[in-house]
Amino acid sequence: MNLEPIDAFRFRIARDERRGMRTHVVVYASQTLIDQIRKDLSLEQAMNVATLPGIVGPSLAMPDIHQGYGFPIGGVAATDVETGVVSPGGVGFDINCGVRLVRTTLTEAEVRPRLRDLLNQLFRDIPCGTGGAGPVKISRQQLAEVLVEGAGWMVKNGYGSERDAEFAEESGCLKGADPEHVSARAKERGQPQLCTLGSGNHFIEVQWVERIHDEAAARVMGLEAGQVVVLIHCGSRGLGHQVCTDYLAQMGAAMKRYNITLPDRQLACVPIQSPEGQAYLAAMRASANFAWANRQAILHFTRGSFARIFGAGARLELIYDVCHNIAKQETHVVDGKKRAVLVHRKGATRAFPPGHREIPAAYRGIGQPVLIPGSMGTASWVLVGTEGAMQETFGSVCHGAGRLMSRTAARKGRNAREVQDKLEEQGILVRSESRDGILEEIPEAYKNVDEVIEVVHAAGLARKVARFRPMAVIKG
Amino acid sequence: MNEDLKPPAMFELIEHTADIGFRTWGKTAAELFENAAGALMAVAVEIETVEAREPYPLAAEGLDYESLMVNWLSEVLYALDAKRTPLRRFEVSEVTPARITGQGWGERWNPARHRAKLIVKGVTYHQLQVEERAGGWYAQVVLDI
Repeated sequence: MNLEPIDAFRFRIARDERRGMRTHVVVYASQTLIDQIRKDLSLEQAMNVATLPGIVGPSLAMPDIHQGYGFPIGGVAATDVETGVVSPGGVGFDINCGVRLVRTTLTEAEVRPRLRDLLNQLFRDIPCGTGGAGPVKISRQQLAEVLVEGAGWMVKNGYGSERDAEFAEESGCLKGADPEHVSARAKERGQPQLCTLGSGNHFIEVQWVERIHDEAAARVMGLEAGQVVVLIHCGSRGLGHQVCTDYLAQMGAAMKRYNITLPDRQLACVPIQSPEGQAYLAAMRASANFAWANRQAILHFTRGSFARIFGAGARLELIYDVCHNIAKQETHVVDGKKRAVLVHRKGATRAFPPGHREIPAAYRGIGQPVLIPGSMGTASWVLVGTEGAMQETFGSVCHGAGRLMSRTAARKGRNAREVQDKLEEQGILVRSESRDGILEEIPEAYKNVDEVIEVVHAAGLARKVARFRPMAVIKG
Repeated sequence: MNEDLKPPAMFELIEHTADIGFRTWGKTAAELFENAAGALMAVAVEIETVEAREPYPLAAEGLDYESLMVNWLSEVLYALDAKRTPLRRFEVSEVTPARITGQGWGERWNPARHRAKLIVKGVTYHQLQVEERAGGWYAQVVLDI
C-alpha cells in the first residue's frame, strides 16, 4: 500500500485499478495515529470501499478509524444517487447508533455528594445489557407509528418536550421511512426494547464541563465550566440489527442479478434506485426513527432519575443529538458542481457548518454541534461543524476515540473490580450488568481522544468547543 | 453422560479491533455448524448457567456454505434476542450448501440464574471462511458487538 502524507494531518492512498479501486483514499490522522491505524486492516477496508460502484469523491477515513467489517469504522463514502449503490454494511447492524448531549442546571459540586445514588437510580430506571424489556410499552400499531415519526412520537405521547425533537439531527425523524419494509421479526425484536440501552460500547455518562475552548459557541449551547451534562450513546437495538441481517441475506442474490462483485462480501450493495435499494433505505430510515425514539425515551427517564435525586428544580435540556451509523441523501458540491449523493457515515458524524439550513436556527450562527464521546475514563468533546468539512468530507468528521485494542486483549489479565476501583480513585463511578462489558471498554482499549480531536480541529473539519470529564458511567 | 455437563463447543476466539470472531472445527459439516452455534452462544452468555431443557427447532437457507453459516447463526441469535431463549446444545440433522435443519436445546431466559456477557448485534461476512479441509471442516466467523 502506497500511503503518502499530504500534510501534517492528511494522508493519501492513490487509486489502484488492479484492486478495482474507482477512487483514492484520504486518511485524516497525525503521524502517531497513522502508526496505530496501520496495525489493523482498516486502511485495506477503506481501499475496498473505494471499489463501490458510483462512489463520488475519495473514500474517506477519519482519525478514529479502526477495523470494522466491510467498511472501516470511521469511514465515509458518498455514492451518486442516480448511478451509485447503497451498502447496508456502510451503515452497520446498529442503524442510527448515535449520541445525545444533555445539559443540566446542576454543578459538579452539587452532584458529587449524591453521585452514587444518581448512578444507582439511572441503573434502575433504564434497562441495559440483556436487562429485559424497557419501561415504554407499545402496541404493534404504536410501533409502526414510532417507525414513521421517530422522536416526535415520544414527545407527542408525553415522553419529552417539543424542543427535544427540534434539537436532534433531522429533528429526530428521517422522512421516507416505511414500516412495511421492516420484517415481522425486526418488529418483534424492537417492540419490547424501546428505552433500553443495549451493550457493547453503549452508555449513559454523567459528565462535567472541564474546559471551554470557544466561549461564544459554548454560550449558545448553554454550557459553562463546572456544569454537569449527560451523554447518552445507543442505537436502534434488535430492530436495527435484524433489519441489517434481513437485507444482507437478500443482497447476496441481488448482487449477482446486478452483476456487482466486491473484494469483501460484507460490503454487499445494490443500486440505490433498484427495488432492493429503495426497500433497504425505507427500512433503514424506519430503524433510524426507532433509534431516535429510543434515545428520546432514555432522556425522559434520565430526567426522572435526576428529579428523584435532586428534586424537580433540576432541569435537563437537550443540546443536540447526532447519528453516526447512517446513509443519508444530501446535496454536496463536488468539483464545482452540485451533486445529489448518498453519504454513508459508518462511525462518522455529520458536521454541517454555520448557516446550513438543516441545523436548528439556534445553532446557525455557530455551526452544528458535533458530539464525540471518548472512553469511560478519559474525556468527551463537543465541537461545531465547519465549511472545511463541507468542502472536503461531505460534511463529516470522526465519531469517537476509536478502538486500539481488541476485546479479547482488553480482558486479558484484568479484573473488573480492579478496573472499577482504579476509575473510582479518579472520581469515576462505573456500573454495568456485565463484567466483560467493563473490561472490554477500559480506557486503555481506546486511542487518545484528545489526539483524534486535535486532528479534526487542525485539519479544519470541526472546531473545539468544550471538553467533558466523566463522573458516573453506566455501561450497557 | 449428562448432556448438560458436556463442555461448551470447541472453538477459539480471534482478535479483532472492535468486534469478536471465532474459529471452530468439526469432523463433519453438521458438527461444524453445531460447534459454531455453540461458540456464538458462549460469546453472548455465560453458557454454563444455561440448561438444555427444551428443544428449539432451527432451520436456515443459503446460497453456499458461507451464507448458510451467517443465516444459521442469525437464527440462533434470533432465538436469544427475540425469543429470549439461550441455547446450550445443538444438533444438526441435515446440511447442504442450500439448507440446514436441526435443533437447539435451551431454556427461557431467567434473570435470576442466567448471566449475559455481550449483546451480539449481528453475524458478518467479514473474513468469513467455511471450508472442508483434510480430515474435517473449518469455519471462521466475525460477529458485530
